[in-house]
Amino acid sequence: MGFEPKIQGIACNWCTYTGADLAGTTRLKYPQNLRLVRVMCSSRINPSFIFRAFQLGADGVMVGGCHPGDCHYGTGNMYARRRLAITKKILDFAGMEPERFRVEWISASEGKRFAEVVEELTNTIKELGPQTKFKIEK
Amino acid sequence: MTDAKTIETRLKEEAKKLLESGVVSVVLGYGPGYDEKHPMPFAASTPEEAENLVFNEFCTANMARYIGRYPAGTKLAVAVKGADSRAVIVLIQEGKVKREDLVMLGIPFKGLKDQATGREIDEKTTGATYNPVIYDVLLGDLIREAAPSPYTVLAELQSMGRDERWAFWEKELGKCIRCYACRKACPMCYCDPCFVDQTRPQWADKSPNIQGNLMYHLTRFYHLAGRCVDCGECSRACPVNIPLYLFHKEVARECEEMFKQKAGMDINDKPVMVDFKVEDSNDILE
Repeated sequence: MGFEPKIQGIACNWCTYTGADLAGTTRLKYPQNLRLVRVMCSSRINPSFIFRAFQLGADGVMVGGCHPGDCHYGTGNMYARRRLAITKKILDFAGMEPERFRVEWISASEGKRFAEVVEELTNTIKELGPQTKFKIEK
Repeated sequence: MTDAKTIETRLKEEAKKLLESGVVSVVLGYGPGYDEKHPMPFAASTPEEAENLVFNEFCTANMARYIGRYPAGTKLAVAVKGADSRAVIVLIQEGKVKREDLVMLGIPFKGLKDQATGREIDEKTTGATYNPVIYDVLLGDLIREAAPSPYTVLAELQSMGRDERWAFWEKELGKCIRCYACRKACPMCYCDPCFVDQTRPQWADKSPNIQGNLMYHLTRFYHLAGRCVDCGECSRACPVNIPLYLFHKEVARECEEMFKQKAGMDINDKPVMVDFKVEDSNDILE
């Protein structure tokens, strides 16, 4: 058996999560490595969620939100963009591969795009191998 | 540059004047420690106490740290060096203190020395801000010399490979004994309770092990993004000498590069993490 990564997905209720629904209802195939958590807005995501996900054994983290300008709450994803950008730089400087953390803007109509992104991320992480740096040994 | 003795005399004079006239009720400055090389943070509340104020090259403490200890509306005078004045600006931006409640005694100074090692604090550590950014009273002449870039010291870490950098931080952060001296010394760490003291959810393991330390420090680095003024108090307070300032510098550099704003330079700015621009590029996420 090859390495099957665990990917923690965090998706906004209005765009990416609905996009994932669409991917499901249109019966698109994408890897089963993603575990998706729904939040009301991408700005709900505390960067500690991402550090914590890596600590608790995620090999990759994907964050999905509405396209900037399309946020259900007006400006939430604009704040999220800044926060997640800094989070990525912090991960990089600490020595974590930044490819393991991906932020994508996926709207509710982009079911296909959602499937593609998950596919891409899974392949990237399969190449990188298991994440061991932050993981808490159990 | 005005020498430390002259600054000390002027500091005493100004403090006495302010306390006698009742413009302020407390002057935050530096007082004597157990010897000359270890001055301590000191709050003078009477003109007589103001006689005890000192200033020399070992006065590294960031007095912005102590502003939050007084109830809102207390009239305070604060002795601020370069980085300290930036810290005060961030506190004003964040609404922790009002500008009109403060009298800022600006101290332009270059060549502070670390109390523990006696070595000079230069731009390679955290000494790249010479002049106070805002002040009401200036206690010495402004330093004309252009301040060097604080980020040159990062070159070595940036040129490392990721695994090597991880090995570096794993070793450094692994030393942490979780005394939280960095948090206590930091003028920006005023949250009550701090995320690390919360139990629901419990973000970080509280025992000193690498995973708990990592969670604590990474989150703290994030919380200080766009707010850290590079005063270096965290690293000097650290009993096991973790070079925390390196990480803070890197985050500050990224913020400056991405959002074109340096922390604590303008009283009217908003800290970058509570602000956004529609024009922010998606490329910053790459």
